[in-house]
Amino acid sequence: MSMIEFHNVEKYYGKFHALTNINLTIEKGETVVLIGPSGSGKSTLIRTINGLESINSGQLIVNGFDLASKKTNMNKIRREVGMVFQHFNLYNNKTVLENIMLGPRVVLGRKEDENKKIAMELLEQVGLSEKAESMPSMLSGGQKQRIAIARSLAMHPKCILFDEPTSALDPEMIDDVLNVMKQIAKDSSMTMVVVTHEMGFAREVGDRVVFMADGQILEDDAKEEFFDGQPSNERARQFLSKIIKH
Amino acid sequence: MINIVSSHSSELLSGLGQTVLCSLIALFFSLIIGSMFAIFEVLPNKILQTIGRIYVEVVRNIPLLVVTMFFYIVIPQYVVSIDGFVAGTIGLTIYTSAFIAETVRAGIQSVSGGQMEAARSNGMSYWQSMRYIVLPQAFKIVIPPLGNQFINLVKNSSVLAFVAGFDLMYVGNDIASTTFDTINSYLVVGVMYLIITMPLSYYMRYLEKRTNRGAA
Amino acid sequence: MRKILKSVALVFSLMVSLLVLSSCGSKKEVKNTNAWTQAQKTDSLTWGVKADTKLFGLMNVKTSQIEGFDIDMAKALTKKMLGKDAKANFVQVTSQTRIPLLKNGNLDAIIATMTITDERKKVVDFSNSYFDAGQSLLVKKGSPIKNVQDLNKSGTKVIGVVGSNSVENIKKFAPKAQVIQLQDYAQALTALKSGQGAALTTDNGILFGMAVDNPNYQVVGKAFTKEPYGVAINKGQDDLKEHVNKALKELEKSGEYNKLIEKWFGNIAGFDYKEVER
Repeated sequence: MSMIEFHNVEKYYGKFHALTNINLTIEKGETVVLIGPSGSGKSTLIRTINGLESINSGQLIVNGFDLASKKTNMNKIRREVGMVFQHFNLYNNKTVLENIMLGPRVVLGRKEDENKKIAMELLEQVGLSEKAESMPSMLSGGQKQRIAIARSLAMHPKCILFDEPTSALDPEMIDDVLNVMKQIAKDSSMTMVVVTHEMGFAREVGDRVVFMADGQILEDDAKEEFFDGQPSNERARQFLSKIIKH
Repeated sequence: MINIVSSHSSELLSGLGQTVLCSLIALFFSLIIGSMFAIFEVLPNKILQTIGRIYVEVVRNIPLLVVTMFFYIVIPQYVVSIDGFVAGTIGLTIYTSAFIAETVRAGIQSVSGGQMEAARSNGMSYWQSMRYIVLPQAFKIVIPPLGNQFINLVKNSSVLAFVAGFDLMYVGNDIASTTFDTINSYLVVGVMYLIITMPLSYYMRYLEKRTNRGAA
Repeated sequence: MRKILKSVALVFSLMVSLLVLSSCGSKKEVKNTNAWTQAQKTDSLTWGVKADTKLFGLMNVKTSQIEGFDIDMAKALTKKMLGKDAKANFVQVTSQTRIPLLKNGNLDAIIATMTITDERKKVVDFSNSYFDAGQSLLVKKGSPIKNVQDLNKSGTKVIGVVGSNSVENIKKFAPKAQVIQLQDYAQALTALKSGQGAALTTDNGILFGMAVDNPNYQVVGKAFTKEPYGVAINKGQDDLKEHVNKALKELEKSGEYNKLIEKWFGNIAGFDYKEVER
């Protein structure tokens, strides 16, 4: 069974056709990088996967559950599908440690000592052990994003969605965050869907590259094909040449 | 002023007591009712949203005296016999709850939507997200305007005087009309309101500072 | 701790400044000008009258004129005192506002169902009585309350109007009853109708006025007090007071007084207007 399956998915915002005939299958353990110009529907697409955006028609199956079905419990799906946001969205009223421990405690009912142990290990993994008692407002953007990743990992999800995780960061912070993400991609069998403009990251850890424009998937290639060969789609070629020049 | 205080101390004290009692009851219930309607207004449910909206718009746009008179005059005729104190306290509660609802709603909505999305993506239900993430942040934002509402509530409790609720204002009217010393009678009453509202005002400030320190 | 001290100090300084303010305020009284010479100069008198009391002073919403026995008396007195072309001005007052308004000089005299009492004599002067009222009770028809003694039970609520003499009287005649004071007669009557009290008490003339418009309600028991209404005038205005008294006597002698009594009370059921004629 695949992790995520889109079948003929359509999505509108009023009259605006945000997603057009999306067909996409992502296997367990795969790392898929979503690229494309802004306004192409990448963020909308990734947000449909954990139900932050609903779809108008078609079928979307995540972890074996049909998201359009009323019987599907979205809270259950979100336990297994974490999300990392462009603007971090750390809980402003909680310490760093509490940000990581809150979900496992109230959602999974994880025991307190175990919860703390896991949280501290994750803090170490993202290199921020000393910030455990800090409030989010005292952290830099890069630190916030690494905590946000740790918060997602603490739920032990099967899949994590990254919605432009580095585009709100100062350039010198980007690598810290990307390194953490690369580690996750290499270490585990976790499925990762990443919306990003970081081609270096895509080339290094991506299994597949999906190119979107105007709400449609125009290119869906294995990484080698996309970067070393030539994308068959003209717009994808243009986009790629621009990005690489920069 | 001193004369009035010494010759009417027991009436003034009982009036003060009634005012404080009414204010405390109204504060407690208007906070609960107001928060409830505020949550109605932000829930992703069109019907409850509409109910909340209508409640707030209707109640806050009717003068307090009219709301109170309704409970004093109409309810006893058709529903159940309630006296001036009860009618006044209910009126004040309902009236204030609409303003508290507006304040709390604004507080909830000023918490960035990303907080709710993050909590939901973390697997929490809507109510868990509200309880652990959104409401605590909204509460902090809402403390200063809520303080204003509480102080207004104490002052508005003088509506009891119009329905014979035996509050401070009622006692003041009584003293003024029996002693004919209108100026001093109302000065005494004014100072007694200050005795209630000033500490409240300072307490709200203290609370504001403390919560700000808690999460800078 | 320091903060508490600070706020206490603040409250105290406020109180002191209010005290100073109030002592300044009470000095400002209108004793120096002679109201009577002033009235002769302007050829007019300003009267404080009720506008919520049927038969005595009630605002007619159609004409926006205040009408009633008090109004007619004020007009007649003014003409007797100052001549045919003199003008009587009317200012609406309530039981609560009438004395302050008189004392700060907004009114020359009050003719507003105001009983002459010793308490009030300490603050204002009164003319001779111009109407002999007595306090009575208004109840719903069929009520067990027949007289003021029936009210003297704890738990019984009696409705009155703030600042009126009748609420003080009830405390004497039915000390166990609880008195509920409302802002004006209209509110008091509405409260009686919604069952906030067992009876409404005030002067019989006023109560009969209410009973006219509300046939389900009736005046019960004989008047249990004497409530002579007087014209209230500021202390020190003896000239004006004497002229009011003189004019009042002339009105009584000429029969004009009885005509006004008949006009307003002649066909009120249950009210023996002959008793108050002079």
